[in-house]
Amino acid sequence: MTIFLGNLFLLLCLIFSISQFFTSQKKNRFRFIAINVNGLLICSFLSFSLLIYSYVISDFSVLNVFENSHTTKPLLYKITGVWGNHEGSLLLWILVLTIFNYFIFKFYNNDNSNFITKTLQVQGLITAGFLLFTILTSNPFQKTVSEQSNGMGFNPILQDPALAIHPPLLYIGYVGFSAAFSMSVATLFLNGDQKIPWYSYMKPFVLTAWTFLTAGIALGSIWAYYELGWGGWWFWDPVENASFMPWLIGTALLHSLIVVEKRKSLMAWVLLLAILAFLLSVIGTFLVRSGILTSVHTFALDPSRGVYILIFTALLGGYSLILFGKKSKNYFDNNYFALFSKEGSILINNVLMIVVCATVFLGTIYPLIIEAFINKKISVGEPYFNSTTIPIIIPAILVMGVGPVLAWNKDRKREIFKKILPSILLTIIMTTLIFLFYQSYNLIGMIGIILGFWIISNNIILLIKKNRNYSKGMLIAHLGIGLLILGITGSSNWQEEKITRLKVSKSTQINEYNIIFKEINEIKGPNYIAIEGNFMVYDKNKNYITNLKPENRYYPITNTFTTEASIHTNLSRDLYLVLGEGNLNDGWVVKVYHNPLVIWIWIGALIIFAGGIVSTSNNLKKIKI
Amino acid sequence: MKNNILILPSIIFFLILSIFLYLLIIDRNPSEIPSNLLNKNTPIFEAKSLFKNEKFISANEFKDEIILVNFFATWCKPCRDEHVYIQRFADEKDLKIIGINYKDNNKKAIKWLEDLGNPYENVLIDKKGKIAIDWGVYGIPETFIINSNGIIMYRNVGPITNKIYKKINLIINKNE
Repeated sequence: MTIFLGNLFLLLCLIFSISQFFTSQKKNRFRFIAINVNGLLICSFLSFSLLIYSYVISDFSVLNVFENSHTTKPLLYKITGVWGNHEGSLLLWILVLTIFNYFIFKFYNNDNSNFITKTLQVQGLITAGFLLFTILTSNPFQKTVSEQSNGMGFNPILQDPALAIHPPLLYIGYVGFSAAFSMSVATLFLNGDQKIPWYSYMKPFVLTAWTFLTAGIALGSIWAYYELGWGGWWFWDPVENASFMPWLIGTALLHSLIVVEKRKSLMAWVLLLAILAFLLSVIGTFLVRSGILTSVHTFALDPSRGVYILIFTALLGGYSLILFGKKSKNYFDNNYFALFSKEGSILINNVLMIVVCATVFLGTIYPLIIEAFINKKISVGEPYFNSTTIPIIIPAILVMGVGPVLAWNKDRKREIFKKILPSILLTIIMTTLIFLFYQSYNLIGMIGIILGFWIISNNIILLIKKNRNYSKGMLIAHLGIGLLILGITGSSNWQEEKITRLKVSKSTQINEYNIIFKEINEIKGPNYIAIEGNFMVYDKNKNYITNLKPENRYYPITNTFTTEASIHTNLSRDLYLVLGEGNLNDGWVVKVYHNPLVIWIWIGALIIFAGGIVSTSNNLKKIKI
Repeated sequence: MKNNILILPSIIFFLILSIFLYLLIIDRNPSEIPSNLLNKNTPIFEAKSLFKNEKFISANEFKDEIILVNFFATWCKPCRDEHVYIQRFADEKDLKIIGINYKDNNKKAIKWLEDLGNPYENVLIDKKGKIAIDWGVYGIPETFIINSNGIIMYRNVGPITNKIYKKINLIINKNE
């Protein structure tokens, strides 16, 4: 029954999406489109709910449930397990697509009907493409061949609250860019002969996409940090890059949209960025799901899926980019920018973001290019990415500090200096304080801290002044970036690592802490057994700080081992402890990290998210009027 | 002039896609991960054997003939899938096959080999995964081919499929 209904809803979705594609060309289309948009939303919601329901009641006659779930799994992870696998995650992707589809439709009125219907037509095509992909190569509603009493389990490393909401946030990001993509195509298609403020429609979608993508990436990092037990939070893995590239393009897009709004300039550029942001999201999906690159994210691989996504990407990209090539000259302008103006700074930042994105893209696909041409396998890792991206990001952050303070059109240099003097002073004071506190000096670290405080003081001063010329959301988001920079700088420059073998009752030191290995116990969890170390932490004055209890878990159902790092966090540092292999006679391998300022990365990301939400709601209000 | 530049994004786009397409359709295996051990001597180790009473000393064994080393475990589902190919190597080829039983239970391993057939000339016990670390094993299953000079010629991460089976056959024929 479930199988039948699930397939029925999927099929109805497909029919509605194809019909949306065709009916949007007709006259008197409003009612047709309304039926399609609502039908699509309802059917995708029903099919998604149905899959969730099958997971909740552990219906192992559904192959997808049998392969990815188990009766002993906690309810929360049964539900989140729906998108923890390839097929289910596609269903979620489709649900998000149809929700965005619905919101685009909500903007429909008599003045913009051509623009919105054209946008919905492109959305219909994208939705149909993903639905076909799901039905043909990755159908979650398939029948289990023989009767099964229990499921095959679930990768325990994915049982983590951060990872549970990471995919939905990420998909809102990717799919939000699809709306911008469709609007860009619609704008190009309509030739600019209708005076529609397409950029005002595009902006809330881009803002939403960017905001949620930021949060999604941050949660992925949190997961890697807490769950993988490697002591770090970013590894330049292809999957991470796949989400980081659309983020960079999205950042550029978001800021250029403001220039379009205020100065009617950079239009062609924005149209291109909107196309690229979504294409990069799809290419990222291709790289990860086709198995063409190896990465820490393991999805079941199937070459036919790769071919399908590739054809689909070629279709979308070919159509939109050729359209851009032919039509974009309608959107050219001859406005010249003064360097010392808001739009000037935005343009510089745009260029820098694109360069970073191109650098990351090159690093990600370089092994593939080399393999295609000289048939050799190489890997590009952290050293490449760090040494190429950081020097480009540093000037971008400097400009980011000045940009918001500058006026539109042109600003006098003297005026600028007056405006930024308070933040220069504040930066100097705060930087001096932090170096007195940490007493550790190196060039990159110093630059990072100064830049971080530079951004923070600029935005705090503007927030306090309550100047109505500045968007509050922007100031909050920029403040978050400042905090993020502090966290990134601290944790990557001053991380200390100690790997040692410890017997029970012996101790080790890191930074100013003394860590005593007190005991080791066996414990039992709901669907795992574990050994748990108990470590007492004292500071240099022998004051008791905390107990750290890292675990090594064994999940019998899937036969996997995971390490649970134990972390003590405060505002200035994380103490991160991982238990390795060992026994009572020889002791255990213990990895200890002292990671300064990590918490500020997460706080920063949260504040950016808040800023994004504030901005989005303000922009939505603007359109309604 | 200006118009020509505008078509540039689509050209770059299609160039990149054609590289992807090429890599998708050629006979390629992303799990063939380059190993530092490739073209080098096998790591030196000693291990207990699952069936034999004598200790296995690698220095005495990896010489004079082609050897296939296969890391496997009873708890690993892909190992079960590739087992037919290991069996085929044992039946069809004149080569020594050594199994390394990774982080496993001895009783289960013996039962498993009784059920599925035992293609291995010798099965070594790697209860703590130490041998696997020396060999730089990524995950189970993993397979190595060693030539008669004790040098590692080939490595495959993941289960042996039909494609890889043919490839390994070619390598063995070349080295014979």
